[in-house]
Amino acid sequence: MDIGNMSEQLARRQFLKKLAAASTAAMMAGEPRLLGADEADATQHPEPTADACILIWMAGGMAAPDNFDPKHYEPFKVGLPVEKVISTFPAIDTAVDDIKISEGLEGIASVMDRATLIRSHVLPDLGHILHSRHQYHWHTGYVPPQTVACPHIGAWMARVLGPRNPVMPAFINIGQRLEGVGENEEIKAFTTAGFFGSEFGPMNLPYPEEAAAAVRPPKGMQPGRFENRYKFFRKLVDKAPQRDYLSDYQQESMLRSLENAYRLLGSKEREAFDISLEPKESYDRYDTGRFGRGCLLARRLVENGARFVEVTTEYIPFIHWDTHKDGHTTVDRLHKEIDRPITQLILDLETRGMLDRTLVVIASEFSRDMILEGVPGSKAQDQATFKVDKLQEMAHYGLHRHFTGGSSVAMFGGGMKKGFLYGETAAERPCLAIKDPVNVDDLHATMFTAMGISPQTAFDVERRPFYATEDGKGRSVSELFG
Amino acid sequence: MNRIIQRLSLSVAASLIVVPVLSAEIDFAHDIVPILKQHCAECHAGEKKQGGLSLDSRESLLAGGENGVVVKPGASRESALLDRITAKDAELRMPPEGEPVPADQIEKLKRWIDGGVAWEAGFTLTKGTYEPPLAHRMPELPVARDGRQHPIDRIIDAYFAKNEVSRPTDIADAPFLRRVSLDVNGLLPRPEAFREFIADPSPTKREELVRLLLANDVAYAEHWLTFWNDLLRNDYTGTGFITGGRQQITGWLYEALLQNKPYDQFTRELIAPTPESIGFISGIRWRGNVSASQRQEIQFAQNVSQAFLGINMKCASCHDSFIDRWTLNETYGLAAIYATEPLTLHRCDKPLDKTATPAWIFPELGQVEPTADQPQRLKQLAALLTHRDNGRFARTIVNRIWHRLMGRGIVHPVDAMHTEPWSADLLDYLAIHLRDNDFDLKKTIELICTSQIYQSQTPPVAQPQAAGRFVFRGPLARRLTAEQFVDTVWQITDAAPTKYDAQVLRFKQQPNHSPQAMTALWIWSNAAASGPAPAGETITLRHKFDLPSLPVRAVGVITCDNSYRIYLNGRHIASDDNWETVEAVSLLAHLRAGKNELLIEAKNGGAAPNPAGIIFEASLRFDDDMTRTIASDRSWQWTAKTLNARGKWKKEPEDWKAAEPVTNPDVWSGRVGAQLTNLLKTAADSPLMMVRASLVKSDRLMRALGRPNRDQIVTSRPNDLTTLEAIDLANGQTLADAIQRGAINRLAEYGDSSEALMSWLCNYALSREPTTEELRLAREFLGTNPTQQSVEDLLWSVFMLPEFQLVR
Repeated sequence: MDIGNMSEQLARRQFLKKLAAASTAAMMAGEPRLLGADEADATQHPEPTADACILIWMAGGMAAPDNFDPKHYEPFKVGLPVEKVISTFPAIDTAVDDIKISEGLEGIASVMDRATLIRSHVLPDLGHILHSRHQYHWHTGYVPPQTVACPHIGAWMARVLGPRNPVMPAFINIGQRLEGVGENEEIKAFTTAGFFGSEFGPMNLPYPEEAAAAVRPPKGMQPGRFENRYKFFRKLVDKAPQRDYLSDYQQESMLRSLENAYRLLGSKEREAFDISLEPKESYDRYDTGRFGRGCLLARRLVENGARFVEVTTEYIPFIHWDTHKDGHTTVDRLHKEIDRPITQLILDLETRGMLDRTLVVIASEFSRDMILEGVPGSKAQDQATFKVDKLQEMAHYGLHRHFTGGSSVAMFGGGMKKGFLYGETAAERPCLAIKDPVNVDDLHATMFTAMGISPQTAFDVERRPFYATEDGKGRSVSELFG
Repeated sequence: MNRIIQRLSLSVAASLIVVPVLSAEIDFAHDIVPILKQHCAECHAGEKKQGGLSLDSRESLLAGGENGVVVKPGASRESALLDRITAKDAELRMPPEGEPVPADQIEKLKRWIDGGVAWEAGFTLTKGTYEPPLAHRMPELPVARDGRQHPIDRIIDAYFAKNEVSRPTDIADAPFLRRVSLDVNGLLPRPEAFREFIADPSPTKREELVRLLLANDVAYAEHWLTFWNDLLRNDYTGTGFITGGRQQITGWLYEALLQNKPYDQFTRELIAPTPESIGFISGIRWRGNVSASQRQEIQFAQNVSQAFLGINMKCASCHDSFIDRWTLNETYGLAAIYATEPLTLHRCDKPLDKTATPAWIFPELGQVEPTADQPQRLKQLAALLTHRDNGRFARTIVNRIWHRLMGRGIVHPVDAMHTEPWSADLLDYLAIHLRDNDFDLKKTIELICTSQIYQSQTPPVAQPQAAGRFVFRGPLARRLTAEQFVDTVWQITDAAPTKYDAQVLRFKQQPNHSPQAMTALWIWSNAAASGPAPAGETITLRHKFDLPSLPVRAVGVITCDNSYRIYLNGRHIASDDNWETVEAVSLLAHLRAGKNELLIEAKNGGAAPNPAGIIFEASLRFDDDMTRTIASDRSWQWTAKTLNARGKWKKEPEDWKAAEPVTNPDVWSGRVGAQLTNLLKTAADSPLMMVRASLVKSDRLMRALGRPNRDQIVTSRPNDLTTLEAIDLANGQTLADAIQRGAINRLAEYGDSSEALMSWLCNYALSREPTTEELRLAREFLGTNPTQQSVEDLLWSVFMLPEFQLVR
């Protein structure tokens, strides 16, 4: 599919028109209403530079100095004072002269000439630095608690832009289990469309290899049976004695949703969810584990018309990027899991001519530091498992404290500059952002703007305006656009 | 704001990326409105248009006054407004009285004008003309038309006449039965009930039915539990529980509904709480820093005003509200009633040099004593809120109930109680009726359900009613809530779980009722006879018994410290690993006339020796009314051998020894003794009650169907089925499993007749007889020998019908 084609633009415009009409219905129901939907007062959306967005989420706090912002490196040595260590990986060259990143990310280094790298992403210090609270903030733009249920940025894209391909769900979330993992209620609280309602919520696919089943007729149901069941259902509808209600809008909308679901489950696009259909050679390039397979699934979904896809390394307290001990060893493993599939995703999108219209964002809820918690002056409690002044064993070696004063975000495609470095953190501790800070509001505004959504888009919730970026204050960072 | 963006984008139409650079973040609502309100509104808003200038809307402001243009967008230098407020000559300067506008505010206005005079769509400085009355008012009931004497109908009929709306047609008995059963108890009427009701010739059968449904305390409580859990943001799991920052009120709430606690008393117990009901006013305590508007004290102000008065103080938690009359001061006054230490006012998260004084928002009814201690203040607030003369308290809840039963509030949305009702007479009548019936909410429900207008057809709606004045035309169709959908599916499939998460006794305890104590003993291996049992000790208990014939009812209760699996004649019937929850089990399906064998594998937990015990008691009833008890005691036997995963022996053990009663059972009986007794009594006295969806934690299916996270108050559920939900309905495992069980169960009864099956299904699911066409379709689809698969697909198809999913 040609992502940037004309018919899609037209379809989107029509969708927006319909949205305006539909808002009247929503108003009657007391549901959120798009502000400025009437023609005279329409929110003017920017011209999009991207049609789809893939958010690659490094859940648990990816330490910038060990990934995209290498600093002074000290190899492990028994007795080494902790304060001497800023990075635990040496820096390596990338395809861009003035950008170096951490050893272990050689693949990403080779495609750095397609990236815009922000090294000055700043997060608030919310006192008690709880991952799920920061993740809520990062994914919705609002610091919890809030008086209304806030939509995930993917839900904003689903709500304002709608699906790219009417058969495909607009917002798909890959790799995060919502049950059986720690803080799952807190994760659920932002993995939602909030006040938009579940139509705009995520389709959750925690296991990429099981994604095919999510859009397959139920287990054990042969294709013929699935179709017969639906046909029989339609006959019952058509023969229902309550003829009067055939024109009832609520009934119609219910039947339309059932029809949509039936069409997806029987559609060609359904195959996009089935990563086992990927040629083996290509599959193997991605397959570093669940995350790698998630990247493959994301590519297949975007190829087939998904609007917003998040792929996460998965947040589980104290696992993966949430390194409170053994940081170096863990990050070494994570490099092996993420480097190959992310690189391949960028290359595949490029080969297919899709990278220019697909915004890929790699981000995390905050960075980490060896000895500093939060930012200087923070009252947050010390999070490292071992409190040592000198390294005694390998488990002590790594960035084990939460750091909110400067983290990195890598963006590829979707209208962003290529081989571009933005912002800077201090070379010495505390490694705070010292140039061009970008907060969550502005980062979201940049993503929304790339996707053609005004950061000031507002909905009327309980008669108060609720904005795509908090209070409509997010400003797109125009320097990042190519 | 939106206009600015449009304006800017027009001026730079050629560029592709429009990054509007607003005038240095001037926010109309937060920066400009307070200035206009403070200095201008007194003379230039609403009725007052001094000098011909009105600030009611952007249009009127731009239109200027008698002396011409006052504000020119984008050009503050050419705007008279700035000249007038900065004038040195006091005669010319605006405002004419009081201090001049401070320099920082002038700067904001200047930037606002230069930025294009952004205006919030629809915002007006005019004070709303409608202020809902506080006091109760008894409307004069219009004369009855066409013999329709019911007070609601007298009001509605007069309303219809005045608005020239034709009355909707009455509904027949069958749809009425379905509607009222789902509305009052959240359940479908059983097929037998459906037939009986249709056949009943009594002219008062509808009124009797309403009363009968309301008298079903447990079903009523378990249906309305969903409504109250949403409104009081109570849940069994969710944000805040992991850090202990939130408490359930489930036990208190369930009991209050079961006892039909008067609503004023109910409210008082929530505001001035007991330890069981404190969870509501405590809100959620978040870890880390939270904004001033989400402190627990402010949550208190927001939750109390929204839940009980339909007043939205969320705006006024940060600044004086722009949409209604509530002020920051009033929010903090309410919050300070709850606060246990001085509460500093914050405007938009910035501290003000002011401490809040505890105060209630309708001083006409009285006031709290600011100097009293917190428990006293809460009591005073509870009394004021539920004051007999507080009409807004009663109106808010009757409006919510009307919304539930009729599909739309008399004031709508239901949390905007400051807006005008479409019939003040109706709202006032319902409110006063509630008060005069001692706040008995069942009386309100009865009143509404016995009216002709409730018993009218829901007219098909071609499209959602456009904005503008709402005209009531009759009840609206409502979609089954997630819990209703799941309950009704469980009714038809018999697939309800046997366990539930709400810590409640599903049994109305009579005040003077002391059920007979159980005969069962807590037993274990001989290790437990003298004290704690070894950690991890796993034993198998056996009890053999003979039955002369099969009983008609056989239910048991069981729990074990720490976990068990129970098998009856080789069939698994239950297992659990939480001794604090008691399971009720039905034995009927697997009992045999003659020899029976119960096997229970029981396991002690922990890391060190600790008390272990298991208790089981079953009550059997035979058709000659003889009863028999089977209870754990010394006659049971134990072995250290264990069962395999399927509950079978690898090798039948031969080392059975007599079980020992545990020496000190008080550690458990204090906590679950009453639960065991009550559950057994309930179970023995009534058919085993189906577990209701409202009692279990939300699952994927219910979440998909709109059961909310209850972090915030929720007062309405989505009324439309979305595509993502439809996908879950089409292939979700939870529903598929229920349907499969249903098919197996129904095939056993109706395996030989597709028509009988279709009839039963239509009777139960739709409360009507199938049409000939439907019977023909079923015959065609199922064939002469229905298979499990075809029955599954029939069930699915009926569950998907709008006729099933909507309450009409």
